[in-house]
Amino acid sequence: MKLRVYGAALAALALAVAGCSGKAASKDGAAADRSGVRTGEGVTDTKITLGALTDMTGVYASLGKSVTQAQRLWVQQTNAAGGICDRQIELTVRDHGYDPQKAVAAYTELEPDVLGFPQFIGSPFVSAVEQRIDNQDKGVVLPQAWSANLLSSPYVRVIGATYDVETINLIDYLLEEERIAEGDRIGHVYFEGDYGENALAGSRHAAKEAGLTVVEQKIKPTDNDMTAQVSALKQAGVKAVVISAGPRQAASLVGVAAATGFDVPVVGNNSAYAPQLLATQAGPALQKDYYVGASTLPIGDAAKGPAALAEAYTAQYPKDGLDNGVIAGYNAASVFGEALKKACASGDLTRDGVGKALLTIKDFGADFGVAHDFTDPAAPSTRQTVVMKPDAKAPGGLKVVRRAEVAPAAESFTAKH
Amino acid sequence: MSEATTDGAAAPGPGRPLTAGLRRPRTHLRLAGALLLLALPFYLDRFWLQAGLFAMAAAIGAIGLNLLTGSTGQLSMGHAFFLAVGAYGYCVLAGESSTQNGHALSGLGLPTWLAAVLAVLLAGAAGGLFSPIAGRLRGAYLGIATLALIFIGQHVLFNAGSLTGGFNGRPVPPFSLFGFTFDDTETVVAAVPFHSFEKLWYAALPALAVSAYFARGVLRGRPGRALNAIRDHRIAAGVTGVPVARYRAGVFVLSSMYAGLAGVLLALVFQRTVPEYFGMVLSLEYLAMIVIGGLGSVAGAVVGAAFVSLLPQVLTHYSDSLPLVSAPGTGGVAPGEASRYLYGAAVVAVVLFLPGGLTRPKKPGENR
Repeated sequence: MKLRVYGAALAALALAVAGCSGKAASKDGAAADRSGVRTGEGVTDTKITLGALTDMTGVYASLGKSVTQAQRLWVQQTNAAGGICDRQIELTVRDHGYDPQKAVAAYTELEPDVLGFPQFIGSPFVSAVEQRIDNQDKGVVLPQAWSANLLSSPYVRVIGATYDVETINLIDYLLEEERIAEGDRIGHVYFEGDYGENALAGSRHAAKEAGLTVVEQKIKPTDNDMTAQVSALKQAGVKAVVISAGPRQAASLVGVAAATGFDVPVVGNNSAYAPQLLATQAGPALQKDYYVGASTLPIGDAAKGPAALAEAYTAQYPKDGLDNGVIAGYNAASVFGEALKKACASGDLTRDGVGKALLTIKDFGADFGVAHDFTDPAAPSTRQTVVMKPDAKAPGGLKVVRRAEVAPAAESFTAKH
Repeated sequence: MSEATTDGAAAPGPGRPLTAGLRRPRTHLRLAGALLLLALPFYLDRFWLQAGLFAMAAAIGAIGLNLLTGSTGQLSMGHAFFLAVGAYGYCVLAGESSTQNGHALSGLGLPTWLAAVLAVLLAGAAGGLFSPIAGRLRGAYLGIATLALIFIGQHVLFNAGSLTGGFNGRPVPPFSLFGFTFDDTETVVAAVPFHSFEKLWYAALPALAVSAYFARGVLRGRPGRALNAIRDHRIAAGVTGVPVARYRAGVFVLSSMYAGLAGVLLALVFQRTVPEYFGMVLSLEYLAMIVIGGLGSVAGAVVGAAFVSLLPQVLTHYSDSLPLVSAPGTGGVAPGEASRYLYGAAVVAVVLFLPGGLTRPKKPGENR
């Protein structure tokens, strides 16, 4: 019978399979080089490979471009200065276009070949692979998202204040400037989903502490016209508005409010501003009474860190404008670089070693106005927020109105998980 | 285009001895192909296995859509909705109640195999609810009606936080069958460490085989001929005694069940369901699959699904060595864009030069 022949062939094949598969158990990846530094995935004797999962064709294309180019700039500068641990740095970039399937696939593709990820845009995708990062891969991932939901993993580390803390600080700024007072109502326009809901948790907390009432307006990322929200908030008699949405929504809100004579201060999270807005009709209104919070100085600031970066970036990419994505990207790459240096010094350039090294970093990045502390994975790396105001004359379109500070209400705040 | 698949009657008839079938060269080819597919997890790395799993899940969904659109001529834009019903249905049925990101997630905690079966039935039921509409509308009109499903679906996925986990989705409980769990714990088979993708491969492969076999049976039998008759001439089909509305409604339910199964499989591969994914673009991709592969045939759906879901992965993976395609962030055409251009071009080329799709290079003898 032919069937028996197939059976035999199948058995033979099954045996052969085990013998010659490249995947067959190579026990562990860690090895030591000549100078005794232990190495693992993504590290050879001459090269350290890092991964960047970015969005250059989707909704966060402009952010993704700035972050990626800034990180390429950091790699170039670091390599020119001799690399880290006698190794050159290489950045492998994958564009997922904000598509979940592509993002997850890109992570799976790069994961075996890189030491870690200094860039991962899109918090839903980070949460999608978080289980794998925590239990299996254990590589350090620095997401470009500031949601408190990403805290608590020892490997996924948010750089900067989370949206909730940032919102508390922004409301504190309004209180300090006496634009609002106890008993007032404030409006909060926020995106459905991670970003907006996290910011809302912050404004609720701040309102409770200061005796304010929050009037909530939930919007979708596709809503671009804020006329309805403005008239609802005007009706409710709010004294100030918080916006946790995209740059477009912020521009519409501020523009419509100004046009209808609704004269209240508006504060927005770091994602609610882009320098391109200044060229639109809402530009003058934005420069009048709109404030943005972030955990870094603006790129146009005269301080040493931003100024040097702005100069180098403009020299490298003369055609591209400056925005705060440049600092976010560069900062993330430098944090990763610092962890690599510490890991090298302790002779352990494996993922485990880099993860441990990151947990020892304190007071880092003061060049950009805010010092970060990575010793506690459950807390944001900082609780400070720089408050800025749009300004057409400054490069990057923002100037500082209040240096990094923590509101008392933000100091004690912990996000619920 | 009345005959559904091109391959001859390979299944041995009742009167023919089994060995006669085994001597045919096509049978040998198929066996070799099956063996190759079975052996792949031992060799491919995780990236390719994942790409393969995405392709297999897409193939199951595309077979379903091809039954509806290719064989019956009913356009559906709502395929993504039924994929979502399958994916989220599985999560809700199999998941435990828990709190996550401030959302209290509810789950029934059923055994996962039962949850998978029920999720497919749930997708079928969702299709059944829509079938009064599906049975009465034809062609492009149904396409417009089903468009509504996507928008409703997206709204529910984002806002029914306790079921769907909202914006960040919810984790997918790993599938387990007879005490064997398809999760990320390492199982060593013949010196090769098996993680979730290797294990899932052996769950997806039979699922695809059964789905394909069943669809082939449907298309080759009486129902298939009735469906084709409805597509080619609705009134003539009605006159010859085909209950047009009932068949249309029925094939809509069947196609949603296929989508449900594909959704369950996708969820298992993703390990987390995200609402973002189940949008209109996904529905369009499925339509592209069946057009590129070949309308109305099972093989066409499978080939088209493989083409559409593997193309971007291949382009991204080899972007370093491809001309024209440049690394993201350096200017020029990024791999993501390039793959979109490519399958846009592929759809146009197929419609112009291969009206039968990739699986039927020759023009079919008869016209519609």
